[in-house]
Amino acid sequence: MGAGERVIDCENLTRSFPSGIALDALTLDARPGEVIALLGPNGAGKTTTMRLLNGVLDPDSGRATVLGLDPWIQGEELRRRTGVLTENAGLDERFTALENLEFVGRLRGMGATETRRRGNELLERFGMSHRADVKVQGFSTGQRKRVALARALLHDPELLFLDEPTSGLDPAATRDVVDLIGSLAADRGRTVVLCTHFLGEAGKLAGRMAVLFRGVLHAFGTTADLAAQLWTGFEVRLDLGGTASRELLIRLGALPAIVQAVPTEIGALVRVGSRDDVPLVVATCVSAGATVFGVDPRDPDLEDVYFALEARAAAAGVPGAQDERGMAEGPAPDRTVDGPLVDAIGSISGDEP
Amino acid sequence: MSGPTIAGFDRDAVRAVLGRDLGAVRRSKAVMLPMLLVPLLLLVLLPLSIGLAAHGDALHVEDFLKLLPGRLASSVMTHPHQERLVILVLGYLVAPLFLIVPLMVSAVLAGDAFAGEKERKTLETILHLPVRDKDLYVAKLLGSFLPAVAVAWVGFAFYLVVSNAVCWSVMHRLFLPTWLWAIVIFWISPAVAAVGLGIMVRVSIRVSNTQEAQQLGGAVVLPLVILAVGQTTTLLLSGPLIALAVGAVVWAIAGWLNLRGAQAFTRDRMAARL
Repeated sequence: MGAGERVIDCENLTRSFPSGIALDALTLDARPGEVIALLGPNGAGKTTTMRLLNGVLDPDSGRATVLGLDPWIQGEELRRRTGVLTENAGLDERFTALENLEFVGRLRGMGATETRRRGNELLERFGMSHRADVKVQGFSTGQRKRVALARALLHDPELLFLDEPTSGLDPAATRDVVDLIGSLAADRGRTVVLCTHFLGEAGKLAGRMAVLFRGVLHAFGTTADLAAQLWTGFEVRLDLGGTASRELLIRLGALPAIVQAVPTEIGALVRVGSRDDVPLVVATCVSAGATVFGVDPRDPDLEDVYFALEARAAAAGVPGAQDERGMAEGPAPDRTVDGPLVDAIGSISGDEP
Repeated sequence: MSGPTIAGFDRDAVRAVLGRDLGAVRRSKAVMLPMLLVPLLLLVLLPLSIGLAAHGDALHVEDFLKLLPGRLASSVMTHPHQERLVILVLGYLVAPLFLIVPLMVSAVLAGDAFAGEKERKTLETILHLPVRDKDLYVAKLLGSFLPAVAVAWVGFAFYLVVSNAVCWSVMHRLFLPTWLWAIVIFWISPAVAAVGLGIMVRVSIRVSNTQEAQQLGGAVVLPLVILAVGQTTTLLLSGPLIALAVGAVVWAIAGWLNLRGAQAFTRDRMAARL
């Protein structure tokens, strides 16, 4: 597959179940060597997307090519070239770790010797070689996950679908797996579709994110692209040793350079047109009698973007956009999209912050 | 690229899934115990106890024979007095129980092979592997059918040995198998196993665990067991042609059930119920 070609190219993919629409007109793509993250709360359609793209589920409508193949006509051929880590490790407890890998190796057409060699190599890579010949029954969640990862990588797939690859892993193993995924994409040109609840992990690994709520794709792109769609300007956190006064917020809001200004527990969060406007903000604070302990100009990260999208989806009436959060980084930060923020500034003049 | 094919099936894929399923059955006490205990009870201990009882003078079956259908009673009455208990019980009455064995074993294994994969959460992994629906279905079918038939046939071999050995001093000849017995065991019992399988496959696709499959499957299979038990003795009193014809009917039903099962067993349908 050439560098310019798309590993995944799907358009208007739709699938419903008796319980409702699981995926509604999904359009996305992935390029060789790219990691894309599917983000969203439980029931967002992430796993359905994975199953559709690997030809396990048929769509109601829409089209897709994956590795140049039609997943629903050339499913077997496609699945020979993809590796999947399901959310549940899916290991048969009655067999040993190595036997689980050998079964998959046989179905993938690998020879017994090759499967054992590669299986042992991967189990060692994931720190599981000492349990290769032990029945999976007594394994911890993390150990199962590591064996399942070894199984997904057994045949060196071109495209990996990883559903929660680090859930249940300890911090050291998590770092190891994250590094491995990164190196598979960057060094070996493998494409990875990552379904995760861990925004930090997605932010570190994925070039582009697809944010889904209730089967609907709400955004797809890099963090910077998504942020640009949500906000204008540049965010600065001001540490004033306490919540900014109403007078200060009014003065900041009156500056032409300031796009938004909202109070925080330690000061204020202001959005300016560019980095050059920061000294003016600091000067305004000082002239208003505030003590500036710290100025933290920062680009919005994935967490900011995700929760802003979630808030927007909830505001648009998407059911479950906020009531099923389940994302790993805790509650949404104090950040809203442009519209509501402007309203917030407007309300400052009349109300105590 | 698929492996070598036989009749359109990928032999390597079928063998891989079949080997895994049979290996899993061997390691599962919950599956192995009922598979071995019921045949042991019906096919070894029962003939042993009847054979031993036939040595005594205390058991007379004539009064009991009066309660049985005329054809069966008259058939038994043609034998010498001391042989009647053995002929009645081991020659006729145990035969229906034989059909329970393949039916039960195939139902237990099919439940484990289909619904059990969902319960163990291993099904999704398999669905993401490069194995075709029909190869997976056939492997699962064979993984239930072959052990069911093997248990029935091996059980029958034990039954023959134990019955003939224990009753030798009464019968003074090998009284089993008869041609009709052979038809029941080698023609009808595999068909019955296939019927049980066909039912359990349909049931297993709809449920989420083995227990549900056994409960729901049992509700369908049990009336069949009763029907089989009720009719098999009559079958043994009929001629071989009728027995063969009955077997053909059971095979036709099994074929239809399993064909419908194959149509229902699609990746999409299985994944949609995960």
